[in-house]
Amino acid sequence: MLPVLGALVEGKELVETVIAATLAGVGVTFAFAVAIWGYGRSLELGGEERRLAAGLAAAVGALALLVVVGSIVAGIVVMTHK
Amino acid sequence: MGSDIIIVIVVGTALAFDFTNGFHDTANVVATSISTGAARPQVAIAVASLLNFAGAFISISVAATVAKDVVDADVITPTIVFAGLIGAIAWNLVTWYFGLPSSSSHALIGGVVGSAVAAAGFHVIIAEGLVGKVLVPALVAPLLAFLVAGLSIGIAYRVIGHQRPGVVSRGYRYGQLLSGGLLALAHGTNDAQKTMGVITLALIANGNLGPEANPPTWVIICSAAAISLGTYSGGWRIIKTTGTRIIKMDAAQGFTAQGSGAAVILASTHFGFPLSTTHVINGGVMGAGAAKRLSAVRWGVAGNIVLAWVLTLPAAAAIGALTYGVTRLFGTGAVGPVVVTLAALALIAAAFVRRAQRGAPVPVTEGGGR
Repeated sequence: MLPVLGALVEGKELVETVIAATLAGVGVTFAFAVAIWGYGRSLELGGEERRLAAGLAAAVGALALLVVVGSIVAGIVVMTHK
Repeated sequence: MGSDIIIVIVVGTALAFDFTNGFHDTANVVATSISTGAARPQVAIAVASLLNFAGAFISISVAATVAKDVVDADVITPTIVFAGLIGAIAWNLVTWYFGLPSSSSHALIGGVVGSAVAAAGFHVIIAEGLVGKVLVPALVAPLLAFLVAGLSIGIAYRVIGHQRPGVVSRGYRYGQLLSGGLLALAHGTNDAQKTMGVITLALIANGNLGPEANPPTWVIICSAAAISLGTYSGGWRIIKTTGTRIIKMDAAQGFTAQGSGAAVILASTHFGFPLSTTHVINGGVMGAGAAKRLSAVRWGVAGNIVLAWVLTLPAAAAIGALTYGVTRLFGTGAVGPVVVTLAALALIAAAFVRRAQRGAPVPVTEGGGR
């Protein structure tokens, strides 16, 4: 059964899709969660007058947000090049 | 003259299918944004409509590939395409009536397969294409989206676990504007092309275009406009199912379902293993809910959706075959398609009159209520 299915399905594309989708999906969601964490922590630490730590948290959040925006741009590039 | 009438009917029917594709699949794009309150319903739908329109112009590379991998392209005639489209439209309307998010692409493929089989027999089916390009992706899409969304939301909850709920909720709502926008663009790119492909196929079969022709500009504009108008009309019944009936969604789950869904769709596009937007986004919604708590998913609703997915190909094929049979009762000319079109329009008009007599539906309100 499996060899027959293997002959019908383009296995390489399937495996590549599963790996890339998992990495991209988890990666983008993780990056956005870090962006929110960074923003939230910077607010908390700023309220405690810990300005350096607040700045660092904000920077981590901003970097993560850049990753998300970069992923969206990459997504649009994928659409235009298919 | 007769063939020109058939072509006009096929183009009109293809654009009608594109319209139903738009309002049927609107839910895929906007349901999670609406149900979490990330965007007001009319705003979400208007933006999705514009992005669907824009998405249709991004690429036309797959426009000519509709159904050619699953049926022998040599047997395709404008009448077969017409009957297939009627099968797809009918199944889209049935599933819309019951609020079930099923794949418009599968309905189109099923319709064309059914009408081609009715015209020339079962040997026209390309089994490798049907299994490899349609059936296996139909199985992979929801499972992959389910797993990716489930894994993603688990990680996201760990990262944001100790943050203030207000910050988290607001952040994810803004995020949904991005993820929803990307999903709408991807949907326009994928689905408007199918209509372009069908119209181009019919024009080639009728001799109006050369065998290797790309879709003419008027076909691209009309297809983009039809799916965009359909999206703007909004399929509220399916929006309600995807947005509120499968799980009660928070903003993080909404973002994760959309973000994971967009990632799965774009990855599959990039590696040439195209997956259904409908299957992906609904699998993602179920995964985002199940990862939080298995009982958070209304499995009865999920089961009905899966049943609709299973039935889509055979049901659309049966309607396509029946339609082809009816058109052939009137010979090979334009009379059959004209009669079927008039009958379909009469049925739709009767349904609208009946609905108007019952009273207008109550629009979906912000937060997903109805």
